[in-house]
Amino acid sequence: MITNNVESKNKKVQLLDHEYDGIRELDNMLPRWWVWLFYATIVFSIWYAAYYMAGYGLTTQEELSVSLERIESLKPPPLASGEDSVSAIVAALGNNKNIHEGREVYEGKCVACHGKSGEGGIGPNLTDDYWISGQGRIQDLVEVIANGVAEKGMPPWADVLSREEFRDVVVFVRSLHASSPANSKAPQGEKYEFKD
Amino acid sequence: MSNSAPSKTVETFMYDDDIVKKFTIATLVWGGIAFLVGIIAALQLASWQLNFGTSWFTFGRLRPLHTNAAIFAFGGNAIFAGIYYSTQRLCKARLFNDTLSKIHFWGWQLIIVAAAVTLPLGLTQSKEYAELEWPIDIAITVIWVVFAVNFFGTLYRRRERHMYVAIWFYIATIITVAVLHIVNSIEIPVAWFQSYPVYAGVQDALVQWWYGHNAVAFFLTTPFLGLMYYFLPKAVNRPVYSYRLSIVHFWSLVFIYIWAGPHHLLYTALPDWAQTLGMVFSIMLWAPSWGGMINGLLTLRGSWDKVRTDPVLKFMVVALTFYGMATFEGPLLSIKSVSAVGHYTDWIIAHVHGGTLGWNGFLTFGMIYYLIPKLYRTELHSVRLANVHFWIGTVGMLMYLLAMYTSGFTQSMMLRAIDPISGKLVYPDFVETVVRIIPLYWVRAIGGVLYLIGFLVMCWNIFKTCRLAPKHLEAEVYRASKMTEESNEPKTAWHRRLEGLMPTFSVLVLVSILIGSVIEILPTLVAHTYTPANSGVVPYTALELAGRDLYVREGCYNCHSQMIRTLPEDVLRYGKASLPEDSMYDRPFQWGSKRTGPDLARIGGKYPDLWHYRHMLDPRSVVQNSIMPAYDWLFDKKTNFAILERKLEVMQSLGVPYTDEDVRNAAHAARAEAEIIAAGLTGDSPIKGLADREIIALIAYIQRLGKNSEKSEGKK
Repeated sequence: MITNNVESKNKKVQLLDHEYDGIRELDNMLPRWWVWLFYATIVFSIWYAAYYMAGYGLTTQEELSVSLERIESLKPPPLASGEDSVSAIVAALGNNKNIHEGREVYEGKCVACHGKSGEGGIGPNLTDDYWISGQGRIQDLVEVIANGVAEKGMPPWADVLSREEFRDVVVFVRSLHASSPANSKAPQGEKYEFKD
Repeated sequence: MSNSAPSKTVETFMYDDDIVKKFTIATLVWGGIAFLVGIIAALQLASWQLNFGTSWFTFGRLRPLHTNAAIFAFGGNAIFAGIYYSTQRLCKARLFNDTLSKIHFWGWQLIIVAAAVTLPLGLTQSKEYAELEWPIDIAITVIWVVFAVNFFGTLYRRRERHMYVAIWFYIATIITVAVLHIVNSIEIPVAWFQSYPVYAGVQDALVQWWYGHNAVAFFLTTPFLGLMYYFLPKAVNRPVYSYRLSIVHFWSLVFIYIWAGPHHLLYTALPDWAQTLGMVFSIMLWAPSWGGMINGLLTLRGSWDKVRTDPVLKFMVVALTFYGMATFEGPLLSIKSVSAVGHYTDWIIAHVHGGTLGWNGFLTFGMIYYLIPKLYRTELHSVRLANVHFWIGTVGMLMYLLAMYTSGFTQSMMLRAIDPISGKLVYPDFVETVVRIIPLYWVRAIGGVLYLIGFLVMCWNIFKTCRLAPKHLEAEVYRASKMTEESNEPKTAWHRRLEGLMPTFSVLVLVSILIGSVIEILPTLVAHTYTPANSGVVPYTALELAGRDLYVREGCYNCHSQMIRTLPEDVLRYGKASLPEDSMYDRPFQWGSKRTGPDLARIGGKYPDLWHYRHMLDPRSVVQNSIMPAYDWLFDKKTNFAILERKLEVMQSLGVPYTDEDVRNAAHAARAEAEIIAAGLTGDSPIKGLADREIIALIAYIQRLGKNSEKSEGKK
């Protein structure tokens, strides 16, 4: 298949007269398909390089911008901004199903810094009445979780969590209030009562 | 023995086969170690506990030991054995100088021992396959020159006018490896086993992957092709298929290969034109690479029955097949959109091991099964055991490769998955994708163990064969006439004539590899785009620099990249695509080549200091299911503040804009910065004198990552 079996088809294949430590060499023609493969890659390469280097094709940066614009256009409006989403969260407060779902999100994403029961650790205690960012409103909780607090090392979650996961984790965190878990971290920030 | 010409003076001579034996034994010894360390590293990925909390035994330090041992110790000794054996016979001349041969052998073994000691100690430049520090770099250069003198001296004294194709490949190897090693290793010493490269960031990346890719080309491809061209026709006793194919594929391979390095840097901060060149030259490399496979496999025409029975040929056929697969896959992976999927994943690990286990490993095994009975003038102890080796090795290799292809593809698909409705990453936690592929890491390790078992069977077989050797081996005496002085061959074809002109041939090879090197690398080296002027980016603080050197020492780059590619899945996960200024002070650059963990290019400021403190102490306390080892010793060892002045001084001499004041004040400033970071952690840390500990310097560095382009944009 890959041979153009020259030896049998064509008696002219020459056994070259030289010899190295007993090794002889035939002088078969280059396999035709191999030569074409080589030409094809060269033609493609010249076309490709010319196309991109002459500026007809998108640069990798431009390609990225196009993809990101498309992805951006898909995104529903950020959770933190919409009034409706805050009211949707408020409506779900205290609902056991939401708390249960929210606990799963919390255990995946929040536990590392805020502790298994919200007692705090790397991050602040979530069960007390003290606030580093915000003043005890659900809106504040939404904003902190959505946008993060860069200077404190709290990452933004708006782009990571789905709308449902986001709602449920807020509901779950709210449900932790006043649970006084063991090993609670000392209060940080200002004291504010929760205002739902 | 001689070829005709009765009138000329006939000389008698003997070959130095003792040196061949030495290199062959060394191949076996280091091969076993390279494979064993590979298996340990593989198991450490499957189970983090196997890092044992010991600094010198962690994956980040062992993985470079594995790669260096496999390439330069196992591969290197195999090449030297095969080159020395075949060159003498192809030239009808004893090696140039027995003392040089011995210096070459023992020097190379000492270099390997030095590597095996320094790499686990964390003494590394972190440039892949060029990790060894400057004193060892110098030793490598010296020994390589010894090798070159010995080799070219032998050619000079040859009794065969024309150089056979194997010799061409050896010439290309010796010349190009010298150029690659010297250019990539230009560095300024800071201490006995530490140095900073003269290139920074994008420039360093380009030079390193020009080197890294061509280490594969000229250390693992051309010398082995040369060996194939000698040992395969010898073993099968058939003429080579096509002399003209040898000529065409040799020159095209040598000329094109050198350009292909930037395919390791697709979608990075490397300029687009260089990426494009890297891609198209890789594609054009397909046919030249296959030329060698075709010439090998077609040489077997009419003799395939021998492949069934002769283990030497079995190994060589599989080697050539894997060579063909790897050199098809290489161009494929160099296509930008394919690289986007494969790069940074286990797909690359699969690709590399197809080449090394299949091509280099099996060709070496075939060569050794051929060589040992010849060298000891006896028969192979057991053909059956050789067949057992062949099958265990093949099965192990297939397990390894299937596991890694599956793992690479699975993880890549997960990391790239973007929800078509919300536009969010489907698997935003990197560790989710890691958990999925752990079972495949076990399969890979088992495959590796099988490969090692097969190898040990071979060692036993070789040992028994050597014992069969006649007690007193008299060196055989050969006779050949001297080469005629006159090099004028008016009626011969031009290439045939060239084969008789060793110096001209070598210079042409040098020119061939320099063309691509200069065109691709020089513009970037002289461009002002990558220099500090006007960027508004301040260099690392002394403490950050100290932390950076710890990041290098621990080999973090083996698992974490610092390069957010211009791909949506990278940008959504890690932040804005990396720019040249992000790594403009990075000597050496830390872009990495594999993401076993997430990218760290913009990790700075993402988490609080305490997060990093706990993470380095016990990764699983903050990232469930993490497979990263703990780095306890960073909490005990003290930062070397005293050396910082010297470090800044070297950086300053390389053009980093530190003032003389910065340099003089380095240790003091670093201490002050450390105190501030430590003060923020004291409430949560039982350690007294925390500011002095290495962990603080490392945190300072990590928190800096990704801040450069913020500053440069602020200025714009």
